[in-house]
Amino acid sequence: MGQSEVRALDGVDLDIHEGEFVAIIGSSGSGKSTLMNMLGALDQPTSGTVTINGENVGKMKSKALAEFRNTTIGFVFQQFQLLPKKSAVKNVALSLLYRKPKVKDAAERAAHCLELVGLGDRGGHRPTELSGGQQQRVAIARALAGAPKVLLADEPTGALDSKTSTDIMALMQDLNSQGITIIVITHEHEVAAYADRVVEFKDGRIISDKLNAEVAA
Amino acid sequence: MSALSTLALAASSIIERPLRSLLTSLGIIIGVAAVYAMLALGEGAKKQIEESLNSISTRTMQVWPDWNRRRSSQSRPSMPFTEQDIIEMRSINGVYAATGTLAGRSYTIATDTNDVSGNFLGVDPDQLKASGSELKMGENISYADIDTRRPVAVISEGIQQRLFDNQNPMGQSIKVNNIAFTIKGVATKADSNISFGNDDIFVWAPITVARERVIGGNRFVQNHVSNIRIVGDLGQDLDSIEEEINIILRRSRDLKAGAPPDYRIFSSRGWQQQAADKTNSLSFLLAAMGAISLLVGGVGVMNIMLVSVTERTREIGLRMALGAKKSNIMNQFLTEALLLCIFSGVVGLTLGFFMSKVAMDTMDVKLVFSPFVAGVSFGSSLLIGVVFGFLPARRAAGLNPIEALRHE
Repeated sequence: MGQSEVRALDGVDLDIHEGEFVAIIGSSGSGKSTLMNMLGALDQPTSGTVTINGENVGKMKSKALAEFRNTTIGFVFQQFQLLPKKSAVKNVALSLLYRKPKVKDAAERAAHCLELVGLGDRGGHRPTELSGGQQQRVAIARALAGAPKVLLADEPTGALDSKTSTDIMALMQDLNSQGITIIVITHEHEVAAYADRVVEFKDGRIISDKLNAEVAA
Repeated sequence: MSALSTLALAASSIIERPLRSLLTSLGIIIGVAAVYAMLALGEGAKKQIEESLNSISTRTMQVWPDWNRRRSSQSRPSMPFTEQDIIEMRSINGVYAATGTLAGRSYTIATDTNDVSGNFLGVDPDQLKASGSELKMGENISYADIDTRRPVAVISEGIQQRLFDNQNPMGQSIKVNNIAFTIKGVATKADSNISFGNDDIFVWAPITVARERVIGGNRFVQNHVSNIRIVGDLGQDLDSIEEEINIILRRSRDLKAGAPPDYRIFSSRGWQQQAADKTNSLSFLLAAMGAISLLVGGVGVMNIMLVSVTERTREIGLRMALGAKKSNIMNQFLTEALLLCIFSGVVGLTLGFFMSKVAMDTMDVKLVFSPFVAGVSFGSSLLIGVVFGFLPARRAAGLNPIEALRHE
C-alpha cells in the first residue's frame, strides 16, 4: 500500500565548475527537474550532499536557503514567471527587494541588466506588452540582476518558437563567454547543443556526461 | 526586506485590484461606521443623562409624613416636621439647600379687581434655591421677614400674568384668606421635574405669617412644616445625606431603634439612574450589532485574502525562488490585510461620524466626538486585519516554492 519507494535521483555524482555551460538533458521523469530543484536550493536531498559555491545546501534551514537562493542562484523558467502588473524594470529588480543590506541602486542595476539582454529601451513596458522572446529576456535579466554564481534555466525555450529559441540560446552563450556559469535543463538536443557539456539523465541516473565536441563527433 | 518596501508592495497589490479591494473593505467600513455611530450615540445620550443628573431636580429629596401608615394602637398619627429639623438638616455636609414648606389647601388669591385659585405656601429663604426657580424681579423672602412676621409675598409669574396682566406688581398687595400681603418679588416657574401638578400659580409667604394668619398651627407640634425639601451639592452622593436626615428625624420624632420610620423620603435619582442604565444597555446592544458586522467584514477580508493567496500562488513561488523568506511572504500578506483594514477604518470612521451626526440630530442628542470611541472602533478594525489576515498569510508563507511555481 504505497510503500514502494520512488527514487527521483539515485547515486548521482556530478561536479560542475565555475564558468561552465552545462546542459542537463533527459526525457520527462528522468529526474532532471529534481536535480534542478536541488541545484537551485529549492529542494534538499534525503541523503547525500549538494555543495554549491562551497556551501552545503542539503543542511540549510529554510531561511538560509532563501538567502542562498537570493545571492547565489539566478532562475530562468519555462513560463517566464513575470509579474504581469509590474514593469520590466520592476520585474528585474524583484530579487534585489529581498537582499540584505538594502540595495540602493536597484533600479539602475535592473536597467543595466535589461541593456545586457538587449531590452534597454523596454524598461517601462509591462510583460503583456512584450513578445515571448522579449519576456524571456526580461526573465534572464532578472536572473542576472542579483549577480548570481549560477544561472539556472529550466526549459528556457520551451514556450518559444525556434527562431526566438535560437536568439535566447545565443544570448546564453554570450553571457557564458562573459564568465557566468550556466546550467540549462532541457529535453531538446537542439537546445543542449549550445552548451559546452551535456549530461544525460535517465531514471534518476546519469547515463552520459560528455563535452559537446565529443557529442558532435 | 525593509518595512517600507513591504508596505509599498502591499499597497501596490491593493491598488492593482481596485474593485476587489473596495468591495472587501465595504464590510469593514460598514462595521466600523456602525460601531462608531452606536458608541458615539450612547456616549451622547449618557452625557445628556449625566447633565440631567446634575440638575436640581435629580439632586432633590423630598420628605413627607407617611400618611399611608396604618394607625395601630402602638403608633401615633404621623407628625409633621418642625423648623428645628430643617435648621439641623441645613448643616449636613454636602447640602446645597434645605427648606421646609407649609402647604395648605388651595386658596383664592385676590386683588381688588380679580382673583385666581392657587397654591399658598409658607416658606423660608431656601425655597428659592431648592425649587430651582429664579427671581424675576424684587427680593426673596428673608429670615427677617420670618422673624418679624412681615406680611410680604413672592408671587409666581403665573400670578403676575393672571392678576396683574404682566404689569409690574411690586409693592401692590394681594389678599389670601382676607389677609393682605405686600408683593416683594416675582419668581419664575419652578424646575418642572420637581413640581407636582399646576405649580405655576403660587404665592410664597414667610412661613411664620402663613402658619399664624392663614393656614393655622398644628395641635401636636410647634412651628410645624408639612414637608421638607433637601438639595445636595453638585456631584454629592445623596445616600449619605439621606442617612443624616434619618438620624435627625428619628431623634426629633423620638423613634425607637428598629421602629419603622413614620415619614418617607422620595427622590427622583432612582428613575434617572434607570434611564441611564437603559441607555447604556441599548447602546451596548447597538455596538454589539456593529461588532457583528465587523466580524462578518473580517471574515470577508479573510475570504478574499485566501482567494488572493490561491490566485497568486505562482507569484509567491517566484518570490520564494528569488530569495523571499517565509517571513517576507507572511509580512506581505499580513500588511496587505492590515492596510485594507486601516483604509476601511478611516473611511468607516468618517462615515460613522456623519451617521452619528444625523442620528443625534434626529434624536435631539448633543453631538460629541469621543476620541475613546473613535479609538475603539478604529482599533477593532486593526484587530480584524491582524486576526483575519493571519490565516491567509500563514498559508501563503507555508507554500512549497516548487509546487507553487508549477501551480496553474
